[in-house]
Amino acid sequence: MAVLEIRDMSIRFGGLQALKDVNVDVPEWEIVGLIGPNGAGKTTLFNCIMGLYSPNSGTVTYRGRDISLLPTHRKVSLGIGRTFQNIGLVRELTVIENFLLAQHPRIGYGAFGGMFGMPRTFLEERRLRANAMEVLDFIGLAHLAHSKLGGLPYGTLKLIEIGTVLATDPDVILLDEPSSGMGPDEAHAFGERLLKLRQTLNLTVLMIEHHVPLVTSVCDYVYCLNFGQILTHGKPRDVASHPEVVAAYLGGEVEGLHSEDDAEEVADVTS
Amino acid sequence: MRTTIVSAVLVVLLGLGLLVGAGVENGPNPFITLGVMNGAVFGLVALGLVLVYKGTRVFNFAQGEFGTIAAYLLFLSINRGWPYWVGILVALAGTVLIGLVLERGVIRPLINAPRINVLVATIAAALFMIGMEILIARIEPRSLSPIIAAVDSSGNPNGVTVFNLPIEPQRLIALGVLLSLGGVLAWFFSKTDLGLAVLATSQDAFATRVMGIGIERMSRFIWVSAALLGAIAGILYVPLTGALTPAVMTSNILIPAFTGAVIGGMTSLPGAFVGGIVIGVVQSVGLWAGGHFTIGEKALQEVIPGVEQVTILLVLLAVLLSRPQGLLGKEA
Amino acid sequence: MSTQTDETQTISPVASEPSRFRPSTRGWAIRLVVIALLAVVTVWRVATVQPLWADHISLAAIFAIIGLSLNIVLGYTGQVSLGHHAFVGLGAFIAAHHITERAGCAPEEGCIESSLGTFSVAILLAILSGVISAGLLGMVALRIKGLYLALITLTYGFVAVNSIFEISSLTRGGAGMPAPRPATFFSDHKYMVLCLGLLGVCMFIDWRFLRSKMGRAVLAVKSSEAVAASYAVNVTAYKLMAFMLSGAFAGLAGALFAFRRQIVVAPDFSFSTALLWVLMVVVGGLGSRLGVVIGSMFFALFPFLIQLVGFLNDFLANTLQRDPEELTLVIGPFLALLTMIQFPGGIAEQISPITRWLGGDRFTMHPEGKHHKPSLLQRRRAKKQGLEVHDDAELVATKSEDLLRDAAGEPDAASTQTMAAVDSSEEVKS
Repeated sequence: MAVLEIRDMSIRFGGLQALKDVNVDVPEWEIVGLIGPNGAGKTTLFNCIMGLYSPNSGTVTYRGRDISLLPTHRKVSLGIGRTFQNIGLVRELTVIENFLLAQHPRIGYGAFGGMFGMPRTFLEERRLRANAMEVLDFIGLAHLAHSKLGGLPYGTLKLIEIGTVLATDPDVILLDEPSSGMGPDEAHAFGERLLKLRQTLNLTVLMIEHHVPLVTSVCDYVYCLNFGQILTHGKPRDVASHPEVVAAYLGGEVEGLHSEDDAEEVADVTS
Repeated sequence: MRTTIVSAVLVVLLGLGLLVGAGVENGPNPFITLGVMNGAVFGLVALGLVLVYKGTRVFNFAQGEFGTIAAYLLFLSINRGWPYWVGILVALAGTVLIGLVLERGVIRPLINAPRINVLVATIAAALFMIGMEILIARIEPRSLSPIIAAVDSSGNPNGVTVFNLPIEPQRLIALGVLLSLGGVLAWFFSKTDLGLAVLATSQDAFATRVMGIGIERMSRFIWVSAALLGAIAGILYVPLTGALTPAVMTSNILIPAFTGAVIGGMTSLPGAFVGGIVIGVVQSVGLWAGGHFTIGEKALQEVIPGVEQVTILLVLLAVLLSRPQGLLGKEA
Repeated sequence: MSTQTDETQTISPVASEPSRFRPSTRGWAIRLVVIALLAVVTVWRVATVQPLWADHISLAAIFAIIGLSLNIVLGYTGQVSLGHHAFVGLGAFIAAHHITERAGCAPEEGCIESSLGTFSVAILLAILSGVISAGLLGMVALRIKGLYLALITLTYGFVAVNSIFEISSLTRGGAGMPAPRPATFFSDHKYMVLCLGLLGVCMFIDWRFLRSKMGRAVLAVKSSEAVAASYAVNVTAYKLMAFMLSGAFAGLAGALFAFRRQIVVAPDFSFSTALLWVLMVVVGGLGSRLGVVIGSMFFALFPFLIQLVGFLNDFLANTLQRDPEELTLVIGPFLALLTMIQFPGGIAEQISPITRWLGGDRFTMHPEGKHHKPSLLQRRRAKKQGLEVHDDAELVATKSEDLLRDAAGEPDAASTQTMAAVDSSEEVKS
């Protein structure tokens, strides 16, 4: 059974039909890719899933439970994590403080206890810091714990963001263009990292991605969205070579066909 | 189109209100009439608020004080023995100058700052003007004579009488000025490049830059017009209150004007216009209700002092809760 | 970029926090001596102060509590409250009303000192009044995107002044509502100690607020509501809680205000005072506890400090014939504008080299490493990544916040209001 099922999702913005009857299944332990040209409605779909937009129709089911009407913060508490196209981090906070923020739903003291400085809060904060360091260490950024976000390179920030989403303790993570701002080598390294993450943390992933080699090498299944509708879906290679997909991308980014080497390399790492 | 429909509905409602009011003993009709007149001033200030909001996306809390400053300049000019019209020119020119200084010295340096900073800057500017008024003109109330005296030399009231309520000439002038300014603005925003550019900024700041109208020129234009509108409102309104005190326009006009602008959707100029008049009527009816209705032995206004202020707060909350985009705001 | 990849590949063997700069034992000793010296001098000066100045310092402490209250709204949640005179005033009247009318300790009946019990209850009631009124207003204002809280609180302030403060059973009209102090805090000296003590409590709560889950959640909300929600933060609830905490501080300040003069009259709370309070927070330094306290105290004491400067006082009194308090309304806004345009960060930033050094950091005039100009290649790389490069900072991802909003579906200003409608409907559904 799919962990996340999106059924008949539709949303209009004034005269623009941004999504129309979109159906997506995200099965357990799979990495599902969502591709499509700019403006196809990929991020809109994420916002509808998370409840940042209210869709005109459609349901989101999480492990058999209809969560369409839950507010965003409840969905996150249930175990759906999400990154943003352009870095969902809080700039006023340092790196480690962002990780403390990310553990918000699982903090063992109340808002008022924290405010009045109850002794328990100090112990709990220490535990949170240890958790944060564990995740930071896991993504290899422990040395940046006390840095401000301002000075860090874009790629590092994207990685930190994925780290903070891990710190919310998710079952499913929705990644919005995780490899944007990365070069081909970095994107490749990221793909390996993602597979390793899935392996060690039992994650299920729904990922918006433009970088076709990454999609073909990492994803188990791919949906292609165009003008708010699902154009086609299937195995990465089939989708990437689908004539309509090629047309939608204007033949631009289908070099994924030639990146079989990459895919096999990564497959070695996973197995 | 929407504006026309909503305006027509409101005019019909107003007419119905007057008809029903005519049947009530000591009815609200004089108050409604007065409300329309006050609403003219609210509308003027609301126009300035909306202009600034379109340009910079902040509430301009200094809008009311433009009027008080203008009134003080007029007062000081008359005190020096200058003719009234010279005083008006001095007041308008002085306020426009303040608007220019404010734009150049405060708003422009903050052009890339968060909106909240610009908003706080307008608060600081308002308070600075209030402080200067107190420092220069003292806190005591002054009296500012109207353009045409309410009573002629033989003691007969000037102006007209509606529903047994003598309307001072000043109020008629205020209404006339609002209507003609409305016409001028409507022409300006539909026919001139600058006007269209200002309209466009509220949609898309980038498009305006592409159109080749400098952001600086536009910002200057917006603040000068806002200052001018505020000054006209001050000159017309303060003689009606009988007392010129520091911050008079902020305490009497700014809040109804804001509420009017919110009713109009905060970005619609005709909306501000109509909203101002609506809130003028609502406030006056609240005032009438405070004296007319009783709770037990006491009049409503003894139980709830300042009924008209409470009415405005309730209208503001109701509009924001039910239709945050205002009655005339754009649909989704 | 390859250097950065290397960076990310380095995996430290143990997951322990990287060590920050810590001063040597001698360094600590010097800092402790300086702190102790400062503390001793302050305590000694305050303890031996004249009763008149004790009263002034009480006012300064009350202003500081109001400053902290506004700092929560303005500095942490990024909203503005222009109705704080109403929160403070309501607290003052509620406290006075409880002592005089409910507990029956009216001066006309010869009751000069209230009992400690009723006094405490009065203060608690004042705090509660602040929490409740802030909660009610916030429930409406904080649901709507944008800065509507400013508008609604301003309107509420006028309603309070023209309506609530005119209810004679609450305020005794123009004569004012008496608020006798209890014996324990009767002298101006003892009352000053109480005010300073409660300021300390407020500072402690503010500190824990910011350093616990509440503060992080609120800062996240200020940065981007969509991002905050994605970390499971209930956006509306946290905005509301922060505003209610602000209301609690304001109510407490109101009660202290009442007992300072021992009588409350409505003209003490005008909207221009509320505006001045907002500005004192800006001058002190938004978001900085110590800065806000210093800034607020400066604004409270400004009229008295001027009187200490002989020639200024003479000039004001004889040549201009003006009250020093009137001058605050000109100097205050001027300082605020100067702060915003020239010295963002306010007093807090100006004194930050010293405060950071005392807190165990290196002494540097550029705490953010601003003396490092980005190198040529750093600039090129940053440009490629779509980040903006500032001359005085390192590489600052200025655009990321705007982009964040777009990405997160927080619309641009133009469609703010329609989104507000969407949002409120969501809240209703949930």
